Amino acid sequence: MNESTATPARWWNATGRVLWLLALALVSASWWAAAAYAPVEAQMGPVQKIVYVHVPSAIVTLIAFGLTFAASIAFLTTKQWRWDAIAAASCELGMVFATVVLITGPLWARSAWNTWWTWEPRLTSFLILWILYAGYHVVRGSLHSASRRTVSSVLGIVLFVNLPIVWKSVEWWRGSLHPRNVTMTGEMRETLLLSMAAWFVFFAAALVSRLRLEWIREAVAERA
Amino acid sequence: MTLIDVAVKDLRLHARDARFLATLLLFSASLVLILSVAFGPIFREPAREAAATLWAALFFAGVLGLTRSLDLEGEAGGGDAVRLTGADPYSIFLGKTLANFTLLAVVFALVLPIASVFFDVGDLRTLPILVGVAALALLGYAAWGTLFAALARGLKARELLLSVLLFPSLVPLWIGAVKCTHALWAGGSIEPVRDWIKLMAVADVLGLALAAFLYELIQEASE
Amino acid sequence: MILRARDIQKRFESRWVLRGASLALEPGECVLLQGPNGSGKTTFARILATLLAPDRGGVEIEGVAPEKNRRGARRAIGFASHQPHLYPGLTPLENLSFFGRLAGVPAAEARAIGLLDRFALTPFTRTPMEHFSRGMFQRVALTRALLPEPKLLILDEPYAGLDDEGTATLNELLADAKARGAATLLIAHERERAGALVTRSAALRNGVVEGEGS
Repeated sequence: MNESTATPARWWNATGRVLWLLALALVSASWWAAAAYAPVEAQMGPVQKIVYVHVPSAIVTLIAFGLTFAASIAFLTTKQWRWDAIAAASCELGMVFATVVLITGPLWARSAWNTWWTWEPRLTSFLILWILYAGYHVVRGSLHSASRRTVSSVLGIVLFVNLPIVWKSVEWWRGSLHPRNVTMTGEMRETLLLSMAAWFVFFAAALVSRLRLEWIREAVAERA
Repeated sequence: MTLIDVAVKDLRLHARDARFLATLLLFSASLVLILSVAFGPIFREPAREAAATLWAALFFAGVLGLTRSLDLEGEAGGGDAVRLTGADPYSIFLGKTLANFTLLAVVFALVLPIASVFFDVGDLRTLPILVGVAALALLGYAAWGTLFAALARGLKARELLLSVLLFPSLVPLWIGAVKCTHALWAGGSIEPVRDWIKLMAVADVLGLALAAFLYELIQEASE
Repeated sequence: MILRARDIQKRFESRWVLRGASLALEPGECVLLQGPNGSGKTTFARILATLLAPDRGGVEIEGVAPEKNRRGARRAIGFASHQPHLYPGLTPLENLSFFGRLAGVPAAEARAIGLLDRFALTPFTRTPMEHFSRGMFQRVALTRALLPEPKLLILDEPYAGLDDEGTATLNELLADAKARGAATLLIAHERERAGALVTRSAALRNGVVEGEGS
């Protein structure tokens, strides 16, 4: 593990700034589009527009945890601390987006089907996901030594590998109330795609900033 | 053979610790009692309620057992001595898994008759298949549990963390176990829920396979 | 060269405990490593025994890095420390047979019985260790370290808890090991107990190994 850490490079900070500006622009645009551009859905009314936050959040969550998985493998094979930092930062952001999914889901369920929680398989899987990755952070926070990185990486791999099985189990366990692959067309589809892009850029911007923090933290520790 | 030596060593240590065994078995029995009181006195669907009770009790008993196995290694540094022998880490993992599986099997053997009696379910005809289902579930539990317990070593509030980490990973095993047990006790056959057996087997294999890659890393993750 | 530690650096959180400690041991040597409390002796010992990975620098056992051949490296080492590294719930014989078999020691049980006898523990070989005194634990721990007749002995405060007889027995066994060509690293506060065995001494101060004297 002989690398010089120094402080975050200028190009990193610049990238962060650019991404945040882009994120701001795109998110604003997606909110405008959701409010004004996309039509109101016939059956569920204006509340349906929550989908433009709910679905992108779900997708970003999975991307985030997938990144944690990949970065964990990278750390275990290369032993470079950067990969562990990426894994942890990505996991943190994944938790944020998962929380958004778990809040918007019940809100939607309440107005659409008049019940807060329906044990709907996808939402239930997300709940389990949330608990799992919360465990990742609790474990990581409890370890203060060199083993933290290895243990976190192993966890990052093990948890992600479990996801398909958990998904399948919950799906079998409960039939689906969730609108199954509703095909969107026209303005709705465009708004959804815009929202996905917006929240993904937001995720990237947040990741860059979060990593900058890790970079500084590591540099301080190295110098002591 | 390392696998057998490790398993025997763990089981011997458990067998000599009467206090731990008594706690484990009493705790499991109490859980069954508490849940039957919660569901009773008239059981609307005894097969289902009994199945749920059985596997809930086993889950928590398992956490206790796994944590105890872990503590035995840390007590006087025995775990480090094992590392120093240069023995193959995967064999060590398998040995510990076997020991944990045996411990869980003992708890199962105790809790099953109690649940059967309290809920008035089960019969000898379905017993062999039930034992087979239980073996599948408990093997997966032992494997994943041993893996997670090793990760949690050295952490404060180990039991809490272990439950949090373990439960979601055990979802397929536990849902499968409850469904199969319920099917056996309600209908006498496992046919309608056969797919779950496959899923449980996949979960078992996955746990054992992941450990082959990861256990050595976990073992060597030093301070 | 049996042991070669090069520029070992280790930190805990942001505190650097070892700042470039180096040490080399040849067969037949007995090196005494002294140092004030908190100087990192125990950490250093664990790194040399391959139980702990350094942040920088490396260790070579018989010229090979442990990561390349962990089994070979570990089987060449006998390690004893503050913790006995035993299972209190088992008897001394069970403990030693277990570790011996895992380490591939031939006739582990017979050898264990012999060593336990040297330490006057024969009456206790089949008694669970739970109620053993500190001195008894120490003697069994030393037996565990010596069981595989290792080429490298790393002993951290081995005389702690030993009475005069135990000390004498340990010194006899260390002399035997030396005659066999093994290298010994003794970490201790005082030199008196080891006495004539020591061929070279050094000190761990400020995270580095200083002063080679004999």
